[in-house]
Amino acid sequence: MKLAAGAFLAGAGSRLLPPSIPFRFFGAAVTFHVLAWIALLAGADDVPQFAGGLGWPLAALHLVTLGVLAMTAIGASLQLLPVATRLAVGNRRWPAAIWWLYTPGVALTACGMGTGMVTVLAAGAIAVTAALVAFALLLARNLLGAKGMPIVVAHGWGALGSLAVVIATALSLAGTYVGAPIIDRASALALHVTFAAYGFMGMLALGLAYILVPMFALSAAPDEHPAWASLAIAVLALFLAGAAAIGLAPRLLDTLAVGAGLAAVGLHLRLMAVALATGMRRNLGPSFALVRIAWALLVASLLLALAVVHDVPHDGIAPLFGLVLIGGWLLTLLLGILQRIVPFLASMHAGQVRTRGKGLPPTPSALTAVRPLAIHFISHLAALALVTLAIAAGSPLIVRLGAAAGIVGALAFGAFFATAMRRMRRSQAVARAGAMPLA
Amino acid sequence: MDAGRGTVRSRGRRWTDADGIHIDVRGLTPPEPFVAIVELIESIDDATPVIVHHDRDPVMLYGELAERGWIAEGIDTVPGEIRLKLERAR
Repeated sequence: MKLAAGAFLAGAGSRLLPPSIPFRFFGAAVTFHVLAWIALLAGADDVPQFAGGLGWPLAALHLVTLGVLAMTAIGASLQLLPVATRLAVGNRRWPAAIWWLYTPGVALTACGMGTGMVTVLAAGAIAVTAALVAFALLLARNLLGAKGMPIVVAHGWGALGSLAVVIATALSLAGTYVGAPIIDRASALALHVTFAAYGFMGMLALGLAYILVPMFALSAAPDEHPAWASLAIAVLALFLAGAAAIGLAPRLLDTLAVGAGLAAVGLHLRLMAVALATGMRRNLGPSFALVRIAWALLVASLLLALAVVHDVPHDGIAPLFGLVLIGGWLLTLLLGILQRIVPFLASMHAGQVRTRGKGLPPTPSALTAVRPLAIHFISHLAALALVTLAIAAGSPLIVRLGAAAGIVGALAFGAFFATAMRRMRRSQAVARAGAMPLA
Repeated sequence: MDAGRGTVRSRGRRWTDADGIHIDVRGLTPPEPFVAIVELIESIDDATPVIVHHDRDPVMLYGELAERGWIAEGIDTVPGEIRLKLERAR
């Protein structure tokens, strides 16, 4: 019997989760992406001088970090890691249970932050924490049993260790609002920001790039020695920043941490540049334009971190650092990668439905809505530029313009995602009916 | 196309049998199996099938195959190995 691509392995290998699981995480991320820009619009007056504290800017920040970045990381990890490490996710109810706990938890957390309702925030934080702990256990089980890909697995351990710090400091920060902090707020905040962005998300981003970038560029796997050196220096940077956060020679160690971070990123980007320059596929389209911009903004975020450490006299330095770090690097990188991965995964899942003819499953390009992505590309970059300008100028009005552009971009990205899902389901329905799937 | 029995290429071992060109990508570091398979099918300009010997489910390969007009079929396999037959879609 002739099967479409993917049918055999999904059936016999049983390592691949059904599409409803990864796509529910991606769908939630797409929704929280829109809500994040709406929250920024609601908190526009406070954005230019934002330095933490309850309010809609904090809600917008966490809608991105928890709602978009971590949500996508969980969905992608659950889908791809078992296949990569050749170890199935044990009970398939776990990923679904994590989603049902995590998604309302993120919504409650953001709502509590935005409105200042501490009990709502606490309820959301408990749900998010429980879901992240469950995810961490699944991830640890998978990493422990991993076969091969040591550099990616090592980055996974770095991400997991960082996630533990992020959860502990998040609980401490949430405790501050109900009068029961674990450690002092300044230390908890410094640890939380560093280990969430550069630790948890950063390690995942750097590690997965060693597979994804050469795969998309069709190039050889990067040289392992510089990759290990990059990882070692990045871990050193995290330890230095962690020591500084708890008060050990903070200015000196933070400066050294930024220097180490720049060295680690330099090695990583050199490997990425080689992969892109030597790959068989040179034209990687707008998605990789976003990835390249994100890499530049990663470097910019470290330079801004240096400015924060050395108290550069401008009210907007801290919010600008946060914008470039979270919106500029991580969100831009994730949206660039996601717009390539979603059609590939949708194509594979569509192809799992047995076809009675010899037709092709729908191609990734047939599942990709190009115009919404073009709108998103322009709107996302315009939003980042406008909010940067707004912070520099101290203008809430320009923040609103930036947030409006961000909403347009997020809606366009949502249209791209919805189109991919609709075309995948239509193709599956046609194949089930016995006709040729749409190629 | 004849890749030559037992030929060791830079990425994966290739040989030709009656059922097509075989490529063994087991043990290669991802994404090298992906790249090696794409390289091989790019070099084939007739209807010769490709038999892939893999050690994991090449999830992201299927979309790339579809883009290039190829389909994959799971065939008889042995424990610890995943074997695929790749053919041009007719």
